[in-house]
Amino acid sequence: MTVGAGDARVDIDFEDLFETAPCGYIAADRDGRIVRANRTFADWIGVPAETLAGRRFADLLPIVGKIFYETHFAPMLHIQGSFNEVALDLVTADGRKLPVIANAAAQRDATGRPTAIRFTLFISAERRTYERELLDARNAAQATVREEREESELREQFIAVLGHDLRNPIASIASGVSLLMKEVTGERAQMILRLMDGSTVRAARLIDNVLDFARGRLGGGISLTRDAREPLEPALRQVVSELRSIAPDHQVDASYALVEPIDCDRVRIGQLLSNLLGNALTHGAKDIPVRVDAFTTPEELVIEVANGGAPIPPAALDRLFQPFYRGDVHASGQGLGLGLHIASEIARAHGGSLTVRSDAAETRFRFAMSLPLQS
Amino acid sequence: MLPCDPASALSNEFPARVTMSVTSTMIPFTPAATIAQLNARISGTGERMMMFAHGFGCDQNMWRFVAPAFEIDFRTILFDYVGAGGSDLASYDPVKYASLDGYADDVVALARAYDMTRGVFVGHSVSAMIGLIAAKKAPELFSKLVLIGPSPCYIDDGDYIGGFTRDQINELLEFLDTNHMGWSRAMAPMIMGNADRPELGEELTNSFCRTDPEIAKQFARTTFLSDNRADLGPLDARVLILQCREDIIAPTPVGEYVRDAIPGSELVILDATGHCPNLSAPDETIAAIKAFV
Repeated sequence: MTVGAGDARVDIDFEDLFETAPCGYIAADRDGRIVRANRTFADWIGVPAETLAGRRFADLLPIVGKIFYETHFAPMLHIQGSFNEVALDLVTADGRKLPVIANAAAQRDATGRPTAIRFTLFISAERRTYERELLDARNAAQATVREEREESELREQFIAVLGHDLRNPIASIASGVSLLMKEVTGERAQMILRLMDGSTVRAARLIDNVLDFARGRLGGGISLTRDAREPLEPALRQVVSELRSIAPDHQVDASYALVEPIDCDRVRIGQLLSNLLGNALTHGAKDIPVRVDAFTTPEELVIEVANGGAPIPPAALDRLFQPFYRGDVHASGQGLGLGLHIASEIARAHGGSLTVRSDAAETRFRFAMSLPLQS
Repeated sequence: MLPCDPASALSNEFPARVTMSVTSTMIPFTPAATIAQLNARISGTGERMMMFAHGFGCDQNMWRFVAPAFEIDFRTILFDYVGAGGSDLASYDPVKYASLDGYADDVVALARAYDMTRGVFVGHSVSAMIGLIAAKKAPELFSKLVLIGPSPCYIDDGDYIGGFTRDQINELLEFLDTNHMGWSRAMAPMIMGNADRPELGEELTNSFCRTDPEIAKQFARTTFLSDNRADLGPLDARVLILQCREDIIAPTPVGEYVRDAIPGSELVILDATGHCPNLSAPDETIAAIKAFV
C-alpha cells in the first residue's frame, strides 16, 4: 500500500510493520494461546518467534503474573473485551524479568463471546523503576510522618506530665514559705521569704503556661469555665498583689472600674493578666511604674497593661504572640516565651482580642472582649 | 518518675483523648441493610433460590454469562463482597475480613435476608471455601453447593501441593501494588456505583471489577494465605466440584483433594482451561450445574 503525496509517498509493508514494530504484538486464540507473535517480541524474550506458537501467553509470565492473569486479566477480557495499561513482567529465555506494559483486546462474536485476543506490549523498564521509586518515596514519607507524629505526641505528653507533677512540690514550697513568714521575725529572713514566695508564684505561672501549651498541642485547646456569678475584680487584685510581691521595687499602679457581672473564666482572665503583668515587669523600665487598668464599657471588658522603656521593635511585633518567641534584646530573658502566647490564646478562647501598641512613650497591651448586651 | 501511661496521669487535667483504634463498624442486621451493603440483586422466577458468589479479582460481573441461564427455574442472587464492585466500602472491617469466616458471615446474612432455605450456592474460587464455611454455620441455607475451582489452601505444605510457596504469595501482594499505581482513589466512587452503567464505563478503561487497592491487597492476603483444609469434611449438602484443565490457581490435584475430603462429593473435570470457566466456557459450566441441580 502507498500513502502520502509527491516525494513523501511511502510504501507501507504491513507484514514488516507487524514483525519489526517498536512494540510486541501477539495474536492469540480465545483462551490466550499464542497463534503468532512478532519478531520484536520474540527478540525481547530471546526465543525464536515460531516456537512461541501454541504456548499460552500466561506461560510467559512469572508465577505472580500468572495468578494476576487468571484472576484479573482473563476475566476482564471476557467481561469488558479489553484490558489496558497492565504492568507485567515477562520471563525471558535466560530467566530475566522484562517489565512491560500490556494492552489487550478481544475480538468478539455476535453474542459478545471472545473469539481471539490481541496483545500489544511495550517495554517499560525505566518507567517501572521510576514508578517503584515514587511508590517507595511515598511509603517512606508516610512512615516518617507517622513516626514524627508519634514522637512529637510523646514529647508533648511528657511535657504535660512533667508540668503537672511539678505543681505539687511548688505548692508545698509555697505553703511552707507562707507558714515561715508568720513565724520568722528577722528582717533579712522576711525579705528572703518574700523573694522565695515570688519565685513560687513565677514558677507556678510558668507551669500553667507550659501545661496550657502542651494541652493545646495535644488537641485539648484552652478550655473555659465561665461563671458570671462570682466577681472578676478580686481575682485581678489577687494577681496584681502576687506580682507586686515578686517585684517589690517596681511600682505597679492599678485601677479597677468593673461593672459586674462579667461572664468569663475568672481563673483564665487572671492568668492572662498575670502573664501580661509578668511581661511588663520583666521587660519594662524599672523606674517607670507599670499601669494596670481594668474597666468595662457597656459593650466590652478591657484590661490594659502598660510599661515604659525601650519600645518593641516593629519586626518583633508580628511574632510576639507566637510560642517560644523571646525578644532577643534580653539575653538574660527568663521564661520560655509562652506567656504572651497563652495570654493571646485565652483572649481568643473568650472570643476577645489581645493587641499591643509600642512606642517610645510606652508599651501597652490591650485585652478586650465583648460583653453580652444587658437587656 | 514518669508513669507508664502518660495520658492516664493527666486524667484530671486533660479531656479524654480519642484513642486511635480502628472502630469496627456496627452493621445493622436488617435484611435491607445487608442487601444494600453487598450490592445484592435478585432476579428470575421459581421456587428455589441460587446464590452466585464471585472470587478474588472480580465482582458479580463474573456471572454475567452464567446466571441468566438459571433465571427461569430459580430466583438468582448476585452480590459483591464488601470491598468489591458496588458494595459499601465504608463497611469494610479489616479485622472481620482477615479470615474467610467474616465473608462467610456475610453470605449467611445475605441468604437469611432473602429467607433462603435449601437453596443452591455457586461459589467461584475463594468463594467455594466461603460457601463451605457458610454451609457449616447455617446448614439449613443450602442443600447443594457448586464449587468452581476450589482450593482449601494455596500454599504447599508438606505432602499437600497447593501450587504456591509463601514467597510467591508475598510477591503477589507486592505485584498488586504495582498494578494499582495508576488507580486514582478519586475515581473510585464513580466506578463503584456504576459498574452496571456502560455509558459511564466507556469513559474509563478497566471499569469492571475495580477494588480499592488496599482492600484488594487484604482480600488477596485473606484468600491466598488462608488454610481451610480443616473445614472440609462431611456436609449435609450435596457438593459438586467443577475443575478446569490447566488451572494454575487451583490445579487438578487440589480439586481431587477436595473431592476426597468431602464424602459423597462429585468432581467434574471441564474441558475449559484456566481458572474462570464461568467466563471462558459458560455453556459447559451451565450444563454441568444444570445436570447437578
